[in-house]
Amino acid sequence: MDMILNALKYLAYVLIFPGFLFCFLSGLLLCGIDRKLVARMQKRVGPPILQPFYDFFKLCGKETIVPAAANKFMFLMAPLLGLAALVVLQLFIPVFQFNIPAFTEVADVIVILYLLLIPAVSIILGGASTGSPYAGVGLSREMVTVLACELPLVLVLLSVGKVVGASYQGGICFSMTKIVEYQMSHGSLITHAGLIPAAIAFLLVIPGETGNHPFDAAEAETEICEGMLAEYSGAPLGVFKLNHGIKMLTMTSLFVMLFFGGLGSGIESLVALVGLTGTAAHMVSVLLAVLLLFLLCVIVTAVGISLVHAVTARLKIEQIFKYYWTVVSGLALLSLVLVWYGL
Amino acid sequence: MKYIDLLNFLNPVHFPIIAIMLYFLGAFLIVLFGRNRIVRNCIAFLATGLTLTLLILLVKPILIDGGIIPYWMGNRVPAGGYAIGIALEVDALSLFFGLLVATAVFVAILYSFSYMSEDDNEPQYYTLFLMLAGGVLGMVFSGDLFNMFIMVEILTFAAVALTAFRNRVTGALEAAFKYLVVGCIGSTCILAGTILLYQQTHTLNLAQLAYVIPRVGGTNVTVAFALLFIGFCTKAFIVPFHPLAADAHGAAPAPVSVMISGVLTKSGIYGIIRLSFFLFQTMNLGTMQFWLVFLGSVSMFVCVTMALAQHDFKRLLAFHSISQIGYVLTAVGLATTLGASAGLYHAMNHTLFKGLLFLTAGAVLHETGTTDLGKLGGLSKKMPWTTALFLIGAASISGIPPFNGFASKWLIYQASYEKAVETGNIGFALVTICALVTSTLTLASFVKVTQSVFFGQLPKECENAKEVSWGMRLAMSILAILCLVTGLFPNAVQKLLTIPAGSALFNPNAYINGMWQSHLPETAAPAVQTVGVWNPTNWLILLMIALLSICIVAIASKYDAVRENKGEKVALKYSLFYGGEETEFSQVGGGDLFWGFKQNWRHYFSFMHNLHSGIVNDYSLWAVVALALAMVYALIVL
Repeated sequence: MDMILNALKYLAYVLIFPGFLFCFLSGLLLCGIDRKLVARMQKRVGPPILQPFYDFFKLCGKETIVPAAANKFMFLMAPLLGLAALVVLQLFIPVFQFNIPAFTEVADVIVILYLLLIPAVSIILGGASTGSPYAGVGLSREMVTVLACELPLVLVLLSVGKVVGASYQGGICFSMTKIVEYQMSHGSLITHAGLIPAAIAFLLVIPGETGNHPFDAAEAETEICEGMLAEYSGAPLGVFKLNHGIKMLTMTSLFVMLFFGGLGSGIESLVALVGLTGTAAHMVSVLLAVLLLFLLCVIVTAVGISLVHAVTARLKIEQIFKYYWTVVSGLALLSLVLVWYGL
Repeated sequence: MKYIDLLNFLNPVHFPIIAIMLYFLGAFLIVLFGRNRIVRNCIAFLATGLTLTLLILLVKPILIDGGIIPYWMGNRVPAGGYAIGIALEVDALSLFFGLLVATAVFVAILYSFSYMSEDDNEPQYYTLFLMLAGGVLGMVFSGDLFNMFIMVEILTFAAVALTAFRNRVTGALEAAFKYLVVGCIGSTCILAGTILLYQQTHTLNLAQLAYVIPRVGGTNVTVAFALLFIGFCTKAFIVPFHPLAADAHGAAPAPVSVMISGVLTKSGIYGIIRLSFFLFQTMNLGTMQFWLVFLGSVSMFVCVTMALAQHDFKRLLAFHSISQIGYVLTAVGLATTLGASAGLYHAMNHTLFKGLLFLTAGAVLHETGTTDLGKLGGLSKKMPWTTALFLIGAASISGIPPFNGFASKWLIYQASYEKAVETGNIGFALVTICALVTSTLTLASFVKVTQSVFFGQLPKECENAKEVSWGMRLAMSILAILCLVTGLFPNAVQKLLTIPAGSALFNPNAYINGMWQSHLPETAAPAVQTVGVWNPTNWLILLMIALLSICIVAIASKYDAVRENKGEKVALKYSLFYGGEETEFSQVGGGDLFWGFKQNWRHYFSFMHNLHSGIVNDYSLWAVVALALAMVYALIVL
């Protein structure tokens, strides 16, 4: 009986929170907020914040056409695989101190970095399976973008691992839980002088990883008809749009947990101050933590994605690569050198 | 009256020699009776299958119980302080490499049965193949340096002959010639090193050498080290010997590529490990660690960029092969137990996934007659099995979780970063970064292959392609399953195979004692410490739950109710691109897929292009220069 209850509990984690339903709602909401913000920054009215939800359900009702050159199985499976991988990935990112050990002990930051490749690979495979030349151009650019983002991300994570590892045995630490724990007792990592360049670098990597403007050469609508999505229609297209939203959530919450993980430390004492105890207190704290996380994600989206979107024009692919491997990697490398020599 | 006690043969002590003999016996029997296909296949199957079984039986006494099997041929045990007889010595390290060899050989033979069935001179092929296998196995089991040299000669010449086996293929003879010339430079180096050592120490037995050399020292011994080192580097195709591998793989039949990449390069790595950890015991020097790590990192980075520039399926795989060997050398060169275990783990994975990839390349060649990425495309509809198997291999080599490439690379990242933090040397952190970036570059390169071979538009020339035979699919599936299993259970693999083998590196006295009956103090290797968190099975369960529930929702909401365009021929008013380009030119060719990357690196790529002239004189010159540099470096630091 206990086992069944346990299994149901974990199923609820995967399906509802912090799994599928949470990702679905907050990912699309984040997308809607981003669109609204960009519109306002450009002095447009912009779509309603719930527009991505409308789009998703509308696309699900539309007909799907599989092109003649496509491999049908791959064409239909690729979006679902990407979605599953992203949902599972979200499980590994703790919500401040409220994490589910069974999940956060599965993968550390370096593994998360590699798990992030699976959604990218799934969209590449999906695009490739359509056989469209537009998809060919798109996937080549997507791959180069992934490549471009990899170097700065690696450098940022190594710097974080070095700083946090100083208070653990072995001198390095990549475990997400321990990184957050460290911030609870030592203050958020953003206050660590040596890591400020790394935080800026990570912020700049976010739009590249999610494929947002100005780093969206892979999906340039006006130029190559959304690249890998050129042949997609109906529900699979809707799922890919959803994946994009969830990826925004994953990247922003990863950023929050890596650099602002200490902000949640006050929640429990705040709840105790109000006078709640026991299960109720725990429930309220978790709720507050999730709200705080989402709020921070919105702020990071506003600064890291929307603002950048509103003020820049799309870069060419070789410019993207150059930008990431010189400017952003330079910042991250600076950070690594600083923390290496104890700053 | 003496008679042979049959039961005595079942003593594990005899297994190593029987395993080696089975390969050579198979080779000679095929020469005698190999005209009939069934007899030939039976002999090859039995020889390889029995060898694999014997080696698996040795896992218990050697890898688990930590024993060492010394074997004196003809019972000529050492007398008077000198080991004159021919000897085998099998410790955990030897057996680990032996298992890799036997597995790869067995799968390659299974694949050959249908793959080579349309070639002429099939008996000669199997003879050479088994000679090659026996050479490698003999080399990793050999207990004396001169026999190592003999086996290296056997395997080199068998490999050269097999490279040129399809000698009607353009470039086959040229590739074999290049391999012959530079391979002989390597073999000569090994012979010269052996002679120098014999002159200095008056022994060839590895255990005795390992005992004597650290106590003798001197310039001659140091020069011998450099000679042997470069000799084994040519066998492993470490930079600057990488162009040979590319040519050889491009021309050789697929199962031979599996042997060259999965087995022959491992013999080189084995030689380097035996040399630097056991014979000379120099790996505690920071300068030696730097040397191996530097060579490994350069190999891994240079070869992955070379692979990005290739437009031939098999040449591309060849460069990746050396890039992965670079990972192995880097990890072993860190000289920590975690590093050694991770390196050997990666060596094993390399044999599995690279074997799989070469076999899929062979399947494509078998069906379409070409491996040019520009001429292939859209094969996923014609060859769904091969596509799926290729994707598993590609995911493994690119280090995508949960496949085995990720498991071992992840240990390598940790090992190098731990080393960096431990020594406070930021150089090792650069190695970690190099390894991480190389992994992504590998992914990029395999995206290119996936796109230009298995997806995209199907060219007219490939329309007759069909799925390959069951025999070939079986061989590929074995490797694919092994790729998945070794990726999903990294702890079990480490505990059973790589940690015993890796720990042996730090206990050379056990090797000496096992053979030489001396009683040197044995030191237990430090325990393997990992800091990372990665639990592939749990991840896979979570992914499966998520995927299953998403699929159920999707099917319930008629996700798969699609309209399929059956490809009715519609006369297009405009071509696909409105700018007037012909659609056939609009397909992004394999070679141009990453121009966004290449544009930024054009100076590097043109430099590399000019450097790799393809002239054997140049490559021989590189070998000589490398030897000179190795000697100078060895004389300075040792």
